[in-house]
Order: sequence, then structure tokens, then C-alpha cells
Amino acid sequence: MQRIKQTAIRIYGWLELRLQLEAPVKDAALHSVPRNTASWWYVFGSAAFTLLFLQIFTGILLALVYVPAAGEAWNSLNILNHQIPLGWFLRAMHGWGSNFMVAIVLIHMAQVFLFGAYKFPRELTWIAGVFLLLMTLGMAFTGQVLRFDQDAYWGLGIGASILSRVPFIGGGLVHLLLGGPIIAGATLSRFFALHVFVIPGTMLLFVFLHVWMVLKLGINEWPMPGRLVRRTTYIEEYHRQAHEDGIPFVPGAFWKDLTFSGAVLAAVAVCAFVFGPFGPGGQPDPAIIQTVPKPDFFFLWIYTILSYLPPSMETPFILIAPLLGIAFLLALPFWAAEGEKSWHRRPVALLAVSTIAVCWGVLTHLGTTTPWSPHMSAWSSDPIPPHYLQIATPLVRQGAVVFQAKQCRNCHSIGGAGGERGPALDEVATRMTIDQMRFKVVTGGGNMPAYGKNLSPAEVEVLVSFLETLHPANEPPAYDASRRTIETSQADDGATTRTNRNATP
Amino acid sequence: MRILVPALLALSAPFLGGCGHAPGDPPNPILRPSTVTDFTALYSQNCAACHGANGQNGPAIDLANPEYQALVDDATLRKWISGGMPGTEMPAFCQSHGGMLTDAQVNALIAGMRKEWLKANAFGAAAPPYAQAQAGDANRGAQSYRARCAGCHEPTRQQVTSADYLSLVADQTLRSIIIAGRPDIGQPDWRHDGPVGNATTALSTQEVDDIVTYLGSLRNVASGQAASSAQGGR
Ligand code: HEC
Ligand code: HEC
Ligand code: HEC
Repeated sequence: MQRIKQTAIRIYGWLELRLQLEAPVKDAALHSVPRNTASWWYVFGSAAFTLLFLQIFTGILLALVYVPAAGEAWNSLNILNHQIPLGWFLRAMHGWGSNFMVAIVLIHMAQVFLFGAYKFPRELTWIAGVFLLLMTLGMAFTGQVLRFDQDAYWGLGIGASILSRVPFIGGGLVHLLLGGPIIAGATLSRFFALHVFVIPGTMLLFVFLHVWMVLKLGINEWPMPGRLVRRTTYIEEYHRQAHEDGIPFVPGAFWKDLTFSGAVLAAVAVCAFVFGPFGPGGQPDPAIIQTVPKPDFFFLWIYTILSYLPPSMETPFILIAPLLGIAFLLALPFWAAEGEKSWHRRPVALLAVSTIAVCWGVLTHLGTTTPWSPHMSAWSSDPIPPHYLQIATPLVRQGAVVFQAKQCRNCHSIGGAGGERGPALDEVATRMTIDQMRFKVVTGGGNMPAYGKNLSPAEVEVLVSFLETLHPANEPPAYDASRRTIETSQADDGATTRTNRNATP
Repeated sequence: MRILVPALLALSAPFLGGCGHAPGDPPNPILRPSTVTDFTALYSQNCAACHGANGQNGPAIDLANPEYQALVDDATLRKWISGGMPGTEMPAFCQSHGGMLTDAQVNALIAGMRKEWLKANAFGAAAPPYAQAQAGDANRGAQSYRARCAGCHEPTRQQVTSADYLSLVADQTLRSIIIAGRPDIGQPDWRHDGPVGNATTALSTQEVDDIVTYLGSLRNVASGQAASSAQGGR
């Protein structure tokens, strides 16, 4: 035992003589920080740092199996999921790690913003942070593409269509992004290089700078209302505070960072264990159209905005809004380098952060819950609930067939099954008369396609006689009073097109 | 330390031992849609909407009717499923006709229907043939209709004779329904047509031909698509 210890000390001494790391590490660990920074509010940065290394570690393991070739990528993920023991867990850790990282980086940023930590002299730290945020999002996006399933196709399609709107050079940018005019093998190689070499490399560099500055400039003190930042006096004041009322960084503040990072890692593991990996969804094949792909969680809000914007607004919004946002973030520390740090005295900042958070939440919620796309297979797979047809006549039954065959079901649900682009039609007869329904079907309107040209007169008739039966048993269909007279006079006509709900054999 | 190791082992047990049971462990890989050959999956994905959840109680003909399965042969089924019934709402499903299914999948559907729904001896007596072999006579058909069908299909109440209805269904569909019946909606087969519960003799092939011809003559062709283009089995 004694011998081992001595050998260890000798090896350490040998290394230290050459590397000389002990002094700087000690410096960094023991440097004194203001006591009030040892707060649970200050743990997000280190958690993001930890997650970055989780991502690098799991990413390297994934890269051992993943094949970045168009024909193979999807298969290799399925091999990870199903053949390699715990391969699915590894994928799940990486996937959930990425979601957590985006979330933690955003929270970190909001906290830094609210605590005024971007002010003098930490402007550059903030700017490096903005780039780190962009790179984190870039990693999330490129990572989703590497899955190379239908969702990836979708995400790329959106990305490409955003780029293609750039005036003059749009086509060139798309070409650059995809490695060609379309999504193909070259696209995957390109994204692999970005996701594995380019972005992580740059990111590590920026993380190093970011942390270096945090160490050198000191951790931002807890903002006190009324204590203003001035370029001339701030550094001196900070040092006074750090020494008069300070504690060494390790372990004074560090144990909270460690605990929180550990908790975050545990949370990632629990999510991975319980919810499993993301995808791969269906194979990425433009020929397969029986799916409704959706982007990953963090990009859902873009999806929502895109579907809500009127087409004329899309291009300006998509191209200009993100640039303005980034420009604002970069300019912020110069524009507001001095002054009040405390959120108690910065109502606008507080309001801005909460507005953005609420908007983001609402848009994401809409993105997850609103059924934007029609249900592509409802017409052939969702049966009409049998009791809707129990007392149907041949005409009504044929109407139900037309309803399915013309794919009305893809947008309209019946009995809870079917698309939800249009209103559910279970009780449509109570809100519309047969003439109104006929008119709606033929002329469309308000996102409802006009079927006038695609339906024969007989099809329209059977269709509306089916729709007319769609009302609860105890509530009669809407009725146009002036029709009753005409109808009674037709009652004996064998070829009548009206439907009698009470028909029984 | 002494507690830590067993604790870690215990925690990781679900990973090491029964990793198939972890809630996050993904189930089977998603198949390419065109490689699915399971009958239940194929049927419920492609047919259930019109022909009913288990081949019955849907708006279109009940494929689960054993008499229908006995009446129709494989080649005919393949023809309708692959190419659809032109002029009706029965779509073409085969990729060669612009549909989504491969030949293998169509065969799987046919084999599955036979296995699930065909019963030995569904017919007690020799039935009229599936496809109409000779021309029928509309006037005779009208008489047979009055005698054998109208008792149940009283014109004002049920529109089997509605021009709109008829212009959307093929003669062959009418014929299949008359011969095999539709047990799910109460339409009797050819042996039991007649005044309610009181059919003495089965319909002859001739009568079936005539009734179909009669119903066809009521069609308002201008109002629908050309419906009678889907005639005959082979
Ligand atoms: C692309 C999706 C889509 C398809 C396909 C579609 N609809 Fe609609 N439908 C809508 C939308 C959206 C509305 C609501 C329109 C509005 O705001 O007025 C609607 C409204 C209706 C309404 C009025 C319902 C109400 O309560 O106001 C009827 C009836 C209707 N559709 C019938 C049909 C029929 C019949 C078909 C098939 C021939 C069909 N729809 C196909 C999207 C669709
Ligand atoms: C959009 C509705 C619809 C779907 C989906 C559909 N069918 Fe049909 N099918 C019909 C209709 C309607 C008819 C009768 C045609 C007519 O009206 O004359 C029919 C007729 C048929 C017939 C011929 C009946 C006869 O008289 O011999 C077969 C067999 C058949 N369908 C099988 C299938 C199978 C198998 C599927 C699934 C792959 C399927 N159908 C999907 C609507 C549909
Ligand atoms: C015992 C009574 C009865 C007799 C006899 C009868 N039917 Fe029907 N038929 C019904 C019932 C019940 C239905 C289902 C309810 C409805 O469609 O009105 C029906 C439905 C039909 C349908 C519509 C099937 C569909 O898919 O929508 C046709 C076509 C039909 N019958 C033709 C005939 C013909 C032709 C005859 C004479 C050969 C006949 N029926 C004799 C009871 C009968």
C-alpha cells in the first residue's frame, strides 16, 4: 500500500514538473467568489457544460455503430435499437441529453439575462454564449437529420425551404446545405461532418473561451437593486466584494453545481429509460406518403408559426425575424453595458423574458396538439361506426361509401376517428340543413375544398343523404321549414332523393 | 463503499437482465409499409373503412359473408382489389394501378379472406354463377322484382330502385348481393328472397339475370358515372 502511494506520488511529481498544471487548477478552484453567488440559481451553466460532455461521450459511442450513408443510416439505428444490448438506451441518452441541453442552455441564458450578468465586463462572455446557444440548436437540428427518417426529411425540407427564400443566393444556399439540389447521400455526409466535427469542434473552443472568461472575470455577483454597474469602478468593487465577503469557489459554490449536474444526468437517464430513444420513424423515402411527420420538440414552434402565417408574410418573417433576434442578442451587452442589474428594477427585461417563454409554450403546445395535417389513411382504415348505419337505406350506405372514397374522412372525424382539419361531422345535421350541406360540399370554402367538379350529381345526393343522418337520436336534424311542403308532395315518388331515417325493412 | 456497489448493481439490474422490459426499450422496428403482409393489418389499414371492421357492418358489401366468399373465385377478387371496380367507389389498390399495395400484399389479402371468412359448404344448393352469362330481360325482371323483392323494398321507404343509388353501384355488385345476400344488413341470399320470411323457391339464374337487368335499366346514367362498365367476373 505504502509502495503504491509512493509510486503514485512520484509519477504525479514527474508529470507536474513538466505540465505545471497544479498552480492554475488550484487557482481556478480556490479563487474567491462573492458569497452570494453560491446559489441554486447559478448552477445552469455548469449543468450545460456537463451535458455537453455527456453528449460527446454518448456521441462517440454512437459513432462506433452509426453508418453515415443514405442507405445504411436508418438500418444502423435499428441495429442499435434492437440488436446491440442497451444500444437503445445509448440512443435514448443522447437524444434526451440533447433535449435537456437545449432546455438548460435556454434557462441559463434567461437567468444570465435577468441577473444582468451580460453587463460590463462580461460582454464577450455573453456573446460567446449566444454563439453557444446557436451551436446547441445547430447540434439539435443536425442530430435530428442524422436519424435520416421521415421526420428528418421533414426537418430538412423545412430548413431548405427557409433557406431557399433568401433573395438571390437562396438556391446556392440550399445546394450548400444539402450537398446538391435534393436530399440525398451527400446531404447525410454533410450533416455528419457538421454534427460530429465542425460544430462540436467550434463549440469546444467557444466553451473553453466562455469558461475561461468566467474564471478570469469572476462569477457575476448577486444583483442588488440600486447598485449600478459603472465601467470605471465595477472591477474594483467586484474584487472588494469577492475578498471581503467571499468564499473559495471549491467547495463553497461548487457542491451545488455538482449536485445539480448529477441530478440533471439522472433525469436524462430516467427519461431515456422510461421514454426510450427518438425514432427512427419510418424510412426516409419520398415515395412513402402514408405518414404525418413532425419535427422534434424544440422546432415545433417554427412549425406552428409557419402554419399560422398568411403566405405573404412567411418569407419576410422567416428571414428577418431570426436575424433581428440574433442581432439583438449580440448587441445587448454593448447597448446596456452599464446600469442596473437587478430584475427588481428592470421590468421590461422581466416582461420580455416572460412573454417569450409564454409565447414559446403556447406555440409548442399548439404544435403538438393541433392536427395540422390531414389523416392520410382515414378514408380506407377508419370504419364508419356500425350503429351509424344500423337503420340506413342503400342511399345512405352509398353516401357513407362516397364519404370514405372521396376522403372526406381524412379531414373530418366521425365517431372520434378521422382527421381533424375540419369539424367533426357526427352532429353536422343539427347545425346545417341538407341544402346548406349540399352547398358546402359543392362550393367548399374556409379550407374546405370545393368538390363541385369532383363529384357527380348522384354522388352529391347520396353524400348529403348520409350527412343528413348524422345527428343524435334525440335531436332532429336542422330543417328548412319551406321544404316540408315540397317534401310531402314528393313522398310517393319512388326515386326520391330524400332520406327517411326511420326506414326499416 | 460497501453499500454503494450492491446498490449500483441493483439499480442497473433492469438494464442488464431484463432489458426487454424497460419501458423505453423500443418495440419492433417500423416496417416499410410495402413489406407488411399480415392480413389483419392490411385489411384494417386498407379495407375496413368501407367494408367494415371485420368484413361486415360497413357501408360496402360484407366481404366476411361466407356465401360471398364461396361465390367468388381468387382471380376475380384479385382483379377487383388490384384494379378497382371501374365506375364505382371501389378503388384500385395495386401499385400497377396507382394504388399502394404490392402484388404480394393483394395475394395476402385474398389468402387471409379465404382463411378467415370462407366456410366449407356455405351453399346448400348450387348457386347461380358469379358473373352474368346471358342477357336478362328488364320486363321479366320487373315482375320478379315485384314478386320477390318489393315486399321488403317498398319503394318509398327504401331506395334500392333509386336512380342515384343505382347509378353508383355496378351490376356485378347488385348481382353479388342478390345471390350471396348481406347477412349484416338483413338482405337474404338468393334462396330466401321473397315475401318476408316466406320464400318458397330459390331464385333461378334466369331470375337473377332479369332482376339485375331491370335494376340496371332504372339507372340514371347521366347522373352517375358510367356504372355498368364493371361487369362480369373475368
Ligand atoms: C382538406 C380537408 C377537407 C376535406 C378533404 C373535406 N373537408 Fe369538409 N371541411 C373542411 C374544413 C377545414 C371545414 C371548415 C370550413 C369552414 O371553416 O367553413 C369543412 C367543413 C365542412 C362542412 C361544414 C361543417 C360545419 O359544421 O360547418 C361539411 C358538411 C363538410 N365539410 C363536408 C365534407 C365532405 C362531405 C367532404 C368530402 C367530399 C369534405 N368535407 C372533405 C376540410 C375538409
Ligand atoms: C372507399 C371505399 C372502399 C374501400 C377502401 C375498399 N372497397 Fe371494396 N368495394 C367498395 C365498393 C363501394 C364496392 C362495390 C362497388 C359498387 O358499388 O358497385 C366494393 C367492392 C369490392 C369487391 C367486389 C365485390 C363483388 O361484388 O364481387 C371486393 C372483392 C372488394 N371490394 C374488396 C376490397 C378489399 C380487399 C379492399 C381493401 C384492400 C377494399 N375492397 C377496399 C368500396 C371500397
Ligand atoms: C326479407 C326482406 C328482403 C327481401 C325479400 C329483399 N331484400 Fe334487399 N334488403 C333487405 C334489407 C333489410 C336490406 C338492408 C336495409 C336497406 O338497405 O334498406 C336490403 C338491402 C338491399 C340492397 C342494398 C345493399 C347495400 O349494400 O346497400 C340491395 C341492392 C337489395 N337489398 C336488393 C334486393 C333485391 C334485388 C331483392 C330481390 C331479389 C331483395 N333485395 C330482396 C331486405 C330484403
